[in-house]
Amino acid sequence: MAAYLTNIGTLICINAILAMTLNFILGYAGIFSVAHALFFGIGAYTTANVALHLTHSFPIAVVLSMAVAGLLSLTLALPALRVRGEYFVAASLGLQVLGQTLFSEWKAVTGGMGGITGIPAASVFGLEVVDRLPFFLLSLVMLAAVAAAIAAIVRSSFGRSLKAIRDSESAASAFGKDVTAIKTMAVVVSSSLAAVGGTLYAFYISFVNVESFTFDTTVLVTAMVIIGGTGTLVGPLVGAVILMVLPVALSYTPFIPQTEIGSVQQILYGCAMVLLMLYRPSGLVGAPGGRA
Amino acid sequence: MLALQLLLNGLQAGAIYALTAVGFSLIFGATRIFHFAHGSTFAIAGYVFYWVFAVRQLPLAVAVGASALAALAFGTAMDRFIYRPVQQHQGSFFTVFIASFGVSIVVQALIGMVMGRTFVTVSTPLSASTMLAEGLYVAPMAGLAVVTALVFFACLGWVLVRTDIGVALRALSHSHALVRAYGLDPQVLSRHAFAIGSLLAVPAAVITACTSGLNPSIGNHAMLISLAATIVGGVGSLKGAACAGMILGLAENLSSWKLPTEWSEAVSFVVLFLFIIFRPSGLFGVEQKR
Repeated sequence: MAAYLTNIGTLICINAILAMTLNFILGYAGIFSVAHALFFGIGAYTTANVALHLTHSFPIAVVLSMAVAGLLSLTLALPALRVRGEYFVAASLGLQVLGQTLFSEWKAVTGGMGGITGIPAASVFGLEVVDRLPFFLLSLVMLAAVAAAIAAIVRSSFGRSLKAIRDSESAASAFGKDVTAIKTMAVVVSSSLAAVGGTLYAFYISFVNVESFTFDTTVLVTAMVIIGGTGTLVGPLVGAVILMVLPVALSYTPFIPQTEIGSVQQILYGCAMVLLMLYRPSGLVGAPGGRA
Repeated sequence: MLALQLLLNGLQAGAIYALTAVGFSLIFGATRIFHFAHGSTFAIAGYVFYWVFAVRQLPLAVAVGASALAALAFGTAMDRFIYRPVQQHQGSFFTVFIASFGVSIVVQALIGMVMGRTFVTVSTPLSASTMLAEGLYVAPMAGLAVVTALVFFACLGWVLVRTDIGVALRALSHSHALVRAYGLDPQVLSRHAFAIGSLLAVPAAVITACTSGLNPSIGNHAMLISLAATIVGGVGSLKGAACAGMILGLAENLSSWKLPTEWSEAVSFVVLFLFIIFRPSGLFGVEQKR
């Protein structure tokens, strides 16, 4: 039972990191990316390669994954600077499909469809993290670190500039804000922090393949952010907990066959998204009425 | 010979893409609603056709009719029960997109539960390929796809230019306020846009069911292609969407001449990505103010 709970706890932490980082660009910067799973994947693949060929030190893997994801996120920043709204959704969708194809076809780096297996256990300053409980604690610490980083950024002047750009780009630039630099920074920060989730995931599962980083993952993480509430710090966390506990709760419901749990879960969160948009667009946590 | 074969396959795929894309483009251009669930319309039309024709073994005409009815009902219901209420209090791009996105998730999951998650195809006498020349195979369906696309575009062109509703729809894409000033109701026009747009997905869905087959995520694929074609062609230009649909179909298939087939979808999206960065107004589009 304890192993079961720490497993769910770890997965909640990883997904909460993804939801919070997505919310950072979606809720605060108004950049509607549907390519978030890509940067999760880049973090995971970087970690897998670092752990197998270089070192299984967790801090080094985190730093390298963040660097690679941050650098590659410039491909997402490029359309974000030029277009908004539906055009940006389309551009990031294009990036997601392209990235997915690279994940499954670039065999030298990603192991192709089979993925990369046998990733060694993480080591934190010489301490091997093998058991589930210590790994859960490690995930919790990383989640806290990501949350603290996002909270600090949102409260800083940079965070205020972001919200200003979200609400009116021309007004922000009229106030002398460097829109290009601020937007690029927002994308880089969000993507590199999402890679932290990827590092945790690769070490935890010790196996990565393209299945975990598809458009479906983006959909799930987006649902977490929307249901919890965009533009709030706690919202994505609440959304991640709800959507990760949901399949567990469903598997204890007697009249749903095991094979249909995935579908029932999708139907539930799909309906939740529609109903929220109709009656409470700011999500469960957000202030009612105000679009964050 | 391989190139010629791929060209033919590309023409067939392109005709189907063009039909799907024009429906989405018509709705998006006239109402400015980002109808992400257009892919669901496509999936519903395809699966209703499959169920009536292949499972219940009813005549072809009945199956196509049922499919059209289902698409029509779904499209107009989306307009009436989702988009209109959402727009009444929170009309932002964000809320409309998420609501539509939510519906598409539900539809995909429901289809998977009811119809199963495996690939299904409807086999008709027209689906069988015949060999035209050494290594060149063509099914009559390919020709039918191209002819259907041309017929539907001709009808659509006639509706948009010659009928009152068509003229009003084109006016709606320019200015809601002016349409209202002329005493027309934008809500009624929006319903017409959804009806026509959803019907255009029907032939494409039926032909897809008979050729490459259906699976529950087919709606996603149809949506992605429609979106790509609408933007590459230029938002607001139906001619652009049709041409771009054809170009994407050809590009996907011709790319497998030099690249592994796994890359065909990625090729479409590289084209889309480059267009968004270098020419967001598309092939035929007017410069967008955004």
